[in-house]
Amino acid sequence: MADSHQEWLKQMEEESKAKQASFMAGIAQRLRHPVMTKAPEHPFRGAPDFWNKFEWDREEKIERFSANWKSVGGHVARLADMDAARDFIAEKAREMGAKYIVRQNEAELEALGLEAALPDARISVWNTDPDVYWKARSAEADFGVVIADHSVAYTGSVVVKSSKDKGRSVSLLPTVMMIIIPVDQMKTRLGEVLVAFDEGGRENLPAGIHFITGPSRSSDIENDLTIGVHGPGVVYALLVG
Amino acid sequence: MSAKGALGTVKERAELALNDEFLRKAVKFTTERLRNGKKNAAGEHGNWDEWRERGRAIRLHTIAHLDYYLNLFVNNARANGVHVHFADTGADAVRIALSIAERKSAKTVVKSKSMVSEELHLNAALEKIGVEAIETDLGEYIIQLAGETPSHIVIPAIHKNRYQIADLLSEVAGEKLEADTTVLAGFVRKKLRERFLEADIGMTGCNFAIAETGSMVLFENEGNARMVTTLPKTQITLMGMERIIPSFQDLEVMATLLPRSATGQKLTMYMSAISGPRRSEDADGPDEMHIIIVDNGRSLQLGDPEFQELLNCIRCGACLNACPVYRHIGGHAYGGTYSGPIGAVLTPALNKNIAEWDDIANASSLCGACYEACPVKIPLHDMLVYLRRRKVEKGHGNKLEGAGMKGFSTLLGNAKRFRTVVKLGQIGQKLVVRDGGIRTKLGPLKGWNSYRVTPSLPKKSFRENWETLDQQIRADLKEMSPEMKQRMEDAVKRRGQGGGHHHG
Repeated sequence: MADSHQEWLKQMEEESKAKQASFMAGIAQRLRHPVMTKAPEHPFRGAPDFWNKFEWDREEKIERFSANWKSVGGHVARLADMDAARDFIAEKAREMGAKYIVRQNEAELEALGLEAALPDARISVWNTDPDVYWKARSAEADFGVVIADHSVAYTGSVVVKSSKDKGRSVSLLPTVMMIIIPVDQMKTRLGEVLVAFDEGGRENLPAGIHFITGPSRSSDIENDLTIGVHGPGVVYALLVG
Repeated sequence: MSAKGALGTVKERAELALNDEFLRKAVKFTTERLRNGKKNAAGEHGNWDEWRERGRAIRLHTIAHLDYYLNLFVNNARANGVHVHFADTGADAVRIALSIAERKSAKTVVKSKSMVSEELHLNAALEKIGVEAIETDLGEYIIQLAGETPSHIVIPAIHKNRYQIADLLSEVAGEKLEADTTVLAGFVRKKLRERFLEADIGMTGCNFAIAETGSMVLFENEGNARMVTTLPKTQITLMGMERIIPSFQDLEVMATLLPRSATGQKLTMYMSAISGPRRSEDADGPDEMHIIIVDNGRSLQLGDPEFQELLNCIRCGACLNACPVYRHIGGHAYGGTYSGPIGAVLTPALNKNIAEWDDIANASSLCGACYEACPVKIPLHDMLVYLRRRKVEKGHGNKLEGAGMKGFSTLLGNAKRFRTVVKLGQIGQKLVVRDGGIRTKLGPLKGWNSYRVTPSLPKKSFRENWETLDQQIRADLKEMSPEMKQRMEDAVKRRGQGGGHHHG
């Protein structure tokens, strides 16, 4: 089956490639120009110029991020260092009775020493055991602990990128998301994060880049706001530094 | 079920919608909330018109060079490991999606919101080959249980109250669920969790596709699109061929315009950029990823000076919320996948059958609120006039309004731009305007006026006149004539006898 499926994919690929040229030619014909092979001038790339000059100072970024995160129903804690972050997570875990915790496999999180701080909880480290079904492990977790790859003050967003050591599930499936945000790296505008993806180029992109701006929510039933409809309903932004 | 209901005209469908007291209130409440949210968000952000202009410039540029950017996207997506397919028609897209499902021996498909999928009636096609298709957006899940279609692009179950929803979900649960939002949403969360984890295929739409990196971008609030792109082994993305933007930098402009225009949010709770299937060492994300690029009538707009800008649409729904007609008749009255002003133009444009569909264009007040609301400045009100003109030119004119429309057509032929006509209209209508509404049952507005007062063409901008216009329409709804009431009651009776017919 695997072989025949690969063959089928290959056949579909060939059909698609054959189709591609005529599809593009059809578009070019309707647009009344020859099929384009060179990039056109793109004079209006990205945000307007005035916007690209806009920047907040460190304290304002932290304040605005916090206000935005809270305004959509998230929680914020301003913490001096990673030790304080560990104590905060451990205290919340005790307070809320969290028994199952899943965290990303990152050195900073390893150094937190959550395992020692919470001897009664089962703490799993993403993708460290090939025999574990990691999606289900995350789905049953009370807490997911992650570190933000980027953060943006203007929209109150954190950015997480997928990798072998960083599951998309960890920020998505547990009931509570605890996200550590190194404040020194916080940006003012969304564009400051996005432009880096252009500059880094396709080859350097992870499979999943996720901007998270608060708890999962829906207003689909009578416009009544519900929190935690599919993703985490409780989200803590731990601003460290 | 076909996109067109058995009830032929928008007028008949609107009468049904108008008879549903809850629908009318819900639509009004929701659209007002969204409209105010958008106004506040745009105001707070500042320089809104400059952002709109930039959004328009990026969309115009991309569509004008679509062959280049789409081709670039396809090559980059392939390099990311995506299997890309092309579908000229809806039927082609369905065929491709079904063959993937069959190859994968799929039993269930979990879906996040996709208007293209609605356009293709893909769920019905999947059911036919024995694959269960599960909508996972809360609102979409609810209307799927009810066997209906979305009535609003952003809030699809806008027409259901929580008691109706509790009844639907209680059936699934096998026990009586309280009509409490938290209880109902909690039930859906638990129920769908199981479905996400066991599903063979995750299916999504696509808000934007980034040409330079081959990434597809999804905006959402619930997290179901993330579930669908994280848990199942196979991902299928349906993408309109015009969803392209050149770069991640351009995404900042779209991310500024789309959520603010749709719901008044600074950003949706989740914005995800997916660049191919999971990397081999990753422990989640799909093993195999397909993107089906769908034309289905879109390319007909390319090179058409009057309608090409339709392809700039970013599907925010702001024109629906701004439209006084939508706000009173709701989405199902439009009878197609897309409702509101954008639907009134897009549906006939995609279907290339102006004769059958343009009654929707006639159920528009041409007040320009849709254009003012549009974050990429699509001149929808102009397009509505072009549609009417084309219908008349093709000899499909409504006999009742034939004489008047000829006048319209001539004016447009000479002056080209509707704005001139508006000016002429402002002078001409003085003869027939009373209390700000045109009540005469003569001339070009006759058929329309038998159930709705046409707002007079504005002397000032739409916004300045909004309150008056709105009140005028409201007042008219109360003044329903006895014969109209009778017609509506009859229509409801017919619906009762129709046996499982759903409009839309």
